[in-house]
Amino acid sequence: MDAFTVDRLQFAFTVMFHYLFPITTIGLAPFVAFYTFKAARGDAEAATAAAFWTRIFAINFAIGVVTGIPLEFQFGTNWAAFSAASGAVIGQPLAMEGVYAFFLESVFLGALLYGKGKVPTSVHAGAAVAVWLGSWLSGFFIVATNAWMQHPVGYRMVGARIELTSLSALLLSPFAWFQYLHVLCGALVAGGFVVAGIGAYYLLSQREFALGRRFVADGTVVAALFSLLVVYPTGDRNSANVTEYQPEKLAAMEGLFKSTRDAPLAIIGMPDVQHHTLIDPIFVPDFLSFLAYGNFRANVEGLDADAKALWPPVNVTYYAYHVMVGLGTIFCGVAVLAAFFLWRKRLFATPALLWLLMLTMPFPYIANEAGWVTTEVGRQPWIIYGIMRSAKAGSPTVVSGEVVFTLIGFAGMYFMLGVLFLYLTLRAIAIGPSLQSGVGDAAEAPA
Amino acid sequence: MSTAAFALIAFILAMYVLLDGYDLGVGAITPLIARSDREREASMRSIGPFWNGNEVWLIAGGGALFALFPLAYASSFSGFYLPFIVVLWLLMFRGIAMELRSHFPSEIWHQFWDACFAASSTLLILLFGVALGNLLRGLPLNASEYFMGTFAFLLNPYALLVGVFALAVLAQHGAIFVMLRIDGTPSKRARTLYGGLWISAVVLLPAVTAATTLVRAGVLRTPWVDAVGTLALVSLVWSRVAVSRDRPVQAFGASCAFILALLASAAGTLYPYLIPAYPPGHRGLSIFDASPSPYALTTALTVIIAGLLAVIAYSSIVWRHFTTKIRIAE
Repeated sequence: MDAFTVDRLQFAFTVMFHYLFPITTIGLAPFVAFYTFKAARGDAEAATAAAFWTRIFAINFAIGVVTGIPLEFQFGTNWAAFSAASGAVIGQPLAMEGVYAFFLESVFLGALLYGKGKVPTSVHAGAAVAVWLGSWLSGFFIVATNAWMQHPVGYRMVGARIELTSLSALLLSPFAWFQYLHVLCGALVAGGFVVAGIGAYYLLSQREFALGRRFVADGTVVAALFSLLVVYPTGDRNSANVTEYQPEKLAAMEGLFKSTRDAPLAIIGMPDVQHHTLIDPIFVPDFLSFLAYGNFRANVEGLDADAKALWPPVNVTYYAYHVMVGLGTIFCGVAVLAAFFLWRKRLFATPALLWLLMLTMPFPYIANEAGWVTTEVGRQPWIIYGIMRSAKAGSPTVVSGEVVFTLIGFAGMYFMLGVLFLYLTLRAIAIGPSLQSGVGDAAEAPA
Repeated sequence: MSTAAFALIAFILAMYVLLDGYDLGVGAITPLIARSDREREASMRSIGPFWNGNEVWLIAGGGALFALFPLAYASSFSGFYLPFIVVLWLLMFRGIAMELRSHFPSEIWHQFWDACFAASSTLLILLFGVALGNLLRGLPLNASEYFMGTFAFLLNPYALLVGVFALAVLAQHGAIFVMLRIDGTPSKRARTLYGGLWISAVVLLPAVTAATTLVRAGVLRTPWVDAVGTLALVSLVWSRVAVSRDRPVQAFGASCAFILALLASAAGTLYPYLIPAYPPGHRGLSIFDASPSPYALTTALTVIIAGLLAVIAYSSIVWRHFTTKIRIAE
């Protein structure tokens, strides 16, 4: 394998593993803040809930932080040519992420974890809100950076170097905002399902009745609301941006080889890249034209509009997109059904639905990851769309053997982290909120 | 403008060394000052609320370097490829050691993470020192400003000397922090340990100064370096006096001043280079080679400085709630 392939493999592996944890922290942060806030106002049950979710949040945050550090530095270690050319642009939102978001999260998480009983309850609740704000801001700066690589704005070329001409254009780019809102809704769906699913687990195992119900109810409301928002308007506007700015990504996502009027939407089907067709497709006639342009007659550009060298890897893009949409449909259905039963006050007495809520928990995670695979692989062969090829972005002095070595190291380390994460989280869930001590007090030696 | 950017990055990294320096130092001396499970827990708890925020200064420094001097970021990170990844792994180990230790009530679990914590902290200080040493000594850049740093090249006697010096200085910094934060036996042991560390710093300081004059001939005798050198000496003596008078707050301040003075002299030695040449006289990477457009520089400086002022403000408000000493139950 050449260095480029290993670099890509390493980035894909480290970023996809890392992203599992921010999904949870972004999605759980509002729950932690909500319960901590209620606890500060004297709700004893919410205090138990807050301590429990803070523990789960802390484990996720810890692994999210340690796996996040390599990512920012990998730009320099593995993608030096990319960094040297574009650092003046993308370094800005990344530096802002550190300065405006990561500090906020870290400093106040310290206060949230260690401050119980030491700081006034209002400050404690304020710390939870600051952590929430920090996690969402952090997500924004990272997505804004990525959105610039998808659709560069506010820059000019000076030789091979890219110069920033407008930071506000970068931060206020509509492409970035719809991508961010979509990512945010996706994480909130995951957070809602985690809370509801764990609540459902307690109810099904006949324990933690009061908190279990609360978790199921709160989680279901969030999951249902954001399942809808993740589809419309955020998902829809995101595809509109892709249609307008990255037509070959859209074509690969939909498996559309030939430009077509009245383009049909393929619900399933397997792309055959050699013969430029979909095998065994099920089509909804004209629907892709409608989704892309709001008009059943519109012409949708297919892959044939571009030279094959400019095609993204069709199989990966197509399947990742369909996995996202397919699982999205399932979790939308489950969340809306659960919300309806909740409204009719029958949810807690319907074990089948509680089972569904619990088993659907992994789907939002897979859909979130698949969405990122679609957007990142679909951007290929570009690292910065239209400006720089991924193949020219690597580090000139780093050879493939070195990257293989570090990839093996990362694989070993992340395997260990994954095992530790599962063990500690499942253990915390098994002990349950009522019998758990808080993170800070677990280690607190009575004076 | 480029000089302001250089100063900002130097400032962020100096804050990193001051802040994460004490918690790395606490990690390095924990096996020496804490013998029981309770004591080691207290030692880790003393930095518990702070270390994560402290480490963000490193991330912010990386981000600022990326934005302000992209070429230097790209060249140094890819040039130090393997050592850099090793630093990342150590940072990861250290982070999870601190975060996960308290999640499982077992002495075996605790002992494992305590060992990881101490080993990774010690190695990180050494490696950061070695990195700084190599930066001061210069790096062999090629025509397109890149280099390939092999371990054999990086582990030279001068850089190792700076590494050992960094360990002595930050262990001393951590020992003072323990005296500040913990009430009980670890604090007494930290005080004894401090005595030894202080003497080694006193011995190593002139040795490092002399060695730097050797590897970077001619650049050392500037008024700036003389001034901060004097400040370093004064604050080193002052911290010793403060410890013997039982004034840990003063001693901590003096230790901060000592570290700042050392870093300021290092920055003065480097300036205007981000990566000086090795051997001297060859091609180096200066702030004028690597800097982006005036618009990008001004924006980045404004945005980063405004953000950091807010960080300093809220960190000091939050951290004021954690000034009480940790007591160890028998």
